[in-house]
Amino acid sequence: MTTERAIAQQVEAGVRQEQEHDEAGNSKFGFIVFLLSESVIFLSFFAGYIIYKTTVPDWYPPGVTGLETRDPTINTIVLVSSSFVIYVAERFLHDKKLWGFRLFLLATMAMGSYFLYGQAVEWSSLPFSVTSGVFGGTFYLLTGFHGLHVLTGILLQVLMLIRSFVPDNYERGYFGVEATSLFWHFVDVIWIILFILIYVWQ
Amino acid sequence: MTNISLEPINVTRGQPYPGAPDNWRRFFTFSTDHKVIGIQYIVTSFFFFLVGGTFSMIMRGELITPDADLVDRTVYNALFTMHGSVMLFLWTFPVLVGLGNYLVPLMIGARDMAFPRLNAISFWMIPVVGVLMLASFLVPGGPSQSGWWAYPPVSLQNPTGNIINGQFLWILAVAISGVSSIMGGVNFVTTIVKMRAPGMTWFRTPAFVWAVLAAQLIQLYGLPALTGGAVMLLLDLTLGTSFFAPERGGNPILYQHFFWFYSHPAVYVMVLPAFGIFSEVLPVHARKPLFGYRVIAASSLLITVISGAVWVHHMFASATPGWMRMFFMVTTMLVAVPSGIKVFGWVATIWGGKIRLTTPMLFALGGISNWLFAGITGIFLGSVPIDIHVNNTYFVVGHFHYVLYGAIVMAIYAAIYHWFPKMTGRMYYEGLGKLHFALTYLGTALTFLPMHPAGLMGMPRRVASYDPEFAYWNVLASLGGFLLGMSTLPFILNMVSSWIRGAKAGDNPWRAIGLEWLISSPPPVENFEEIPTVISPPYRYGTDEPLVATNLQQELTQTP
Amino acid sequence: MKLRAILTLTVYAILAIFASLWMAKQAYAWFPPEASAESKLIDDLFSLFTGLGTFIYLGVIGPFLYSLVFHRAAKYDDSDGPHIEGNTWLEVIWTAVPLALVLGLSFASYRTYDKMAVRGPMELVHLHMPQMMQSAYAEPFDSTPQQEIQNALESAPLEQIDVIAKQWAWVFHYPQQDVSSTELHLPVDRRVHFTLKSEDVLHGFYIPAFRLKQDVVPNHEIDFELTPTRVGTYRLRDSMYSGTYFAANQADVVVQSVNDYQQWLADAAAQTPSAAFNRAAYEYSRANSNSDNGSTKDKVAVRGWETIPPAPPPVVNYAPKQEPQSPPA
Repeated sequence: MTTERAIAQQVEAGVRQEQEHDEAGNSKFGFIVFLLSESVIFLSFFAGYIIYKTTVPDWYPPGVTGLETRDPTINTIVLVSSSFVIYVAERFLHDKKLWGFRLFLLATMAMGSYFLYGQAVEWSSLPFSVTSGVFGGTFYLLTGFHGLHVLTGILLQVLMLIRSFVPDNYERGYFGVEATSLFWHFVDVIWIILFILIYVWQ
Repeated sequence: MTNISLEPINVTRGQPYPGAPDNWRRFFTFSTDHKVIGIQYIVTSFFFFLVGGTFSMIMRGELITPDADLVDRTVYNALFTMHGSVMLFLWTFPVLVGLGNYLVPLMIGARDMAFPRLNAISFWMIPVVGVLMLASFLVPGGPSQSGWWAYPPVSLQNPTGNIINGQFLWILAVAISGVSSIMGGVNFVTTIVKMRAPGMTWFRTPAFVWAVLAAQLIQLYGLPALTGGAVMLLLDLTLGTSFFAPERGGNPILYQHFFWFYSHPAVYVMVLPAFGIFSEVLPVHARKPLFGYRVIAASSLLITVISGAVWVHHMFASATPGWMRMFFMVTTMLVAVPSGIKVFGWVATIWGGKIRLTTPMLFALGGISNWLFAGITGIFLGSVPIDIHVNNTYFVVGHFHYVLYGAIVMAIYAAIYHWFPKMTGRMYYEGLGKLHFALTYLGTALTFLPMHPAGLMGMPRRVASYDPEFAYWNVLASLGGFLLGMSTLPFILNMVSSWIRGAKAGDNPWRAIGLEWLISSPPPVENFEEIPTVISPPYRYGTDEPLVATNLQQELTQTP
Repeated sequence: MKLRAILTLTVYAILAIFASLWMAKQAYAWFPPEASAESKLIDDLFSLFTGLGTFIYLGVIGPFLYSLVFHRAAKYDDSDGPHIEGNTWLEVIWTAVPLALVLGLSFASYRTYDKMAVRGPMELVHLHMPQMMQSAYAEPFDSTPQQEIQNALESAPLEQIDVIAKQWAWVFHYPQQDVSSTELHLPVDRRVHFTLKSEDVLHGFYIPAFRLKQDVVPNHEIDFELTPTRVGTYRLRDSMYSGTYFAANQADVVVQSVNDYQQWLADAAAQTPSAAFNRAAYEYSRANSNSDNGSTKDKVAVRGWETIPPAPPPVVNYAPKQEPQSPPA
């Protein structure tokens, strides 16, 4: 009877463990659900862009013939490769090599910031504005909304970098870093679609 | 009487955090207890229900005569805009989220939602939305006057020239409500998928939980599209971009696609939990298992899928091409199939049962009968040629009010009465409840039935004045509207007085089967002292089979 | 016992069928008069829906009410009902039957829509080919309105009318005679082709007696066709909410014999254009007039907010005589 009692308590403890202390698992699941939902905003913008592009008679505002693609391509390469960099950072953290993690996280941030800088340079040199017809509107909307996500990603990385100096921060897993990394990959994938839609399909 | 597993589990009351108040004051704190948040949602949204109802009664006052003589046309337009917005974003959505919040963790045997703090934040956005909506009455130019659709170009017209106008506040409020709903959606989906009690497989999960899951999935895929449209509308309004502004080369029809891609499925976000409530209430008060439980549960998800491809039926009279009209006509009509499955299942559930006409049962039955009618007129509206005549007429208004008031609000009342003993530990007054039901049912019929003939005769919706030929039906509808206003009085009286001094209800006054009925009323913080292990499907009325393993030893001996 | 149940069911089904047939007949009376060939097509379809809808409603509500009356628990009866979890056959039937039903209704709706061909030649070109019309004409069901559309098409070229919607007025322009009017005059039994244009926001071109409606979209000319078949005066209403004076944005539709119509066109062409009465402009000027004595400025109880000013009253060849105080016709 007493052994049964002990086993029973063990089972109950296991159940509790699973239910309550699987917070990281829940958070990860929830975060993925959130990202899927977030992607629908981009999908709706993309759908809008495609519809406008195929139906509006005067697509480019007067004086504009197309978009320059050289600098944005470099930007794209930087952003996409940063996805691999943050993956390496995550591997370092996985192996408990904190300094390697910090270094590569910093590199990711630098690449993300370079991307944003490149965007800013491109924006400032463009001959059209957000009010220049549907083309101007969708261009700035898509790149701007994506840029906000890049900025959010960088801020999350800064937060993760700061938190990595908190002692025992990774005792209970590193969901935060995983989420940041996931978010960064998401931002990357969105950019690739965006790049194809805006720059390649002209 | 024969269900032996209904012994309550004894627990000591815990606190959400040290020093948290254990009385009514906890409803005014940033509590993370899902039950407190649930009640906060319900009570707050009921307040806005009264606000939206007041708007509608002023409108019915205007419409009792053909001329625009009670309020100015701008006021009338503002009123129907705010009536729709308040009723949807501040009453129906939040009250159902509140019910889900209260019930889902209890029903699946969890101690709380997956993300309690996120939950509390989601709730506290609702009062902000409410304040923004109502504050728009105070800005120059008044509140948004473009209807709850906010179709451009009307929504982009800004007579005062101020950037902070009613439309701006409206978009802001809707955006905040959207953020709250998406956070809620993430929370619900995670909770339901990840936190069901051991043994609670999908086909042991109550139909209400299925319905909430199906509804919240719609929020997650649909709301972002509306958000996208709203962002573009806001940019058009403030920065002068040209997405939807025809004079600047934009396409106002595209907005309609964005809007309805979410806002039609949004109807299912509201009606699915109502279906879930019917599926829970009927078996308890008819003492019979839910007929075809698996099919009813799964049909909720089928509705989620189909509802993603029906939105153009709101635009049959817009400049949509013919193929689009035909395609969306067929998808729209297909919704009748899963809805029909549910209705037939409910009728079969009560058939041959031991029916007790308690107040929640009356509301559930009334709701189902109204839903049946609304579903049939919905098929009319799905047909393109008929819709070309009745689109944007009072026929549509009558139809969707039958859905929203006749079915959904009735279901909400049913749920509140049904789980009132669980939430408060006290019993409501049956007589007042039945009076409330009678007034509500009659009021619904008197208000919304006459709208159908008015619409068939060609009375457009959203008019502040109309031709005298429609006067007869409008007088009836106005009288019914005032009756509906009166009908809330016995409800409020009942809730307040029985919460304060109602008879003690006990833990399971309905002798219902379900995890939420196994614990004390009101349930303690963290709900379950010991997470139950579910060993059978729900609604096992008429059998002796227990729902949960009575204790762990037994479970161990059963599964060596 | 079983026999009695079958008998009851049969009797109820027969009663329900009769009630449905009766409702299907009644449905025609819920509408304004049928003034176009298309309205007859739609009314037939509506009647079909009403009949089936009534039958479904009665079919469900009958057992529902029966159960409520006869399956109630006695006062001190605490027992449970029978433990029945479902019935696969029943569930299959009540999935399959509605499925077949809605697909059938979709098909019927498609047929009707096809015959109406209201969106003009751009969309449904094939309907204007005589041989297609012939094959449709061979159908016994609702052949009369089809015949009417066909005859109208054959008897004369399409009557072209431009419709201009704005905040808040309707202007009808007859390009051949260069006549403009705030009242829509149409020849009976002729196919009319409208070009719908909006000057500002979305409007809805809606004539309930014709059962037809089409949103009018700015920057977008929309073709729309219909066939008036009944002489009389009807109402055109704005069906897409268009702002402050939306409800007042109405016009009369006068369907005349071809001779009267030609006469009216000739008379109107002879008149010099003048500003027509416009309800929105009238109400707006009254609400915003400076010469207020504080008494009769505004007859509403609750004052409103600033609004988009209405367009000036349209200048047209023909406008119906309308007094500011007169109720809408």
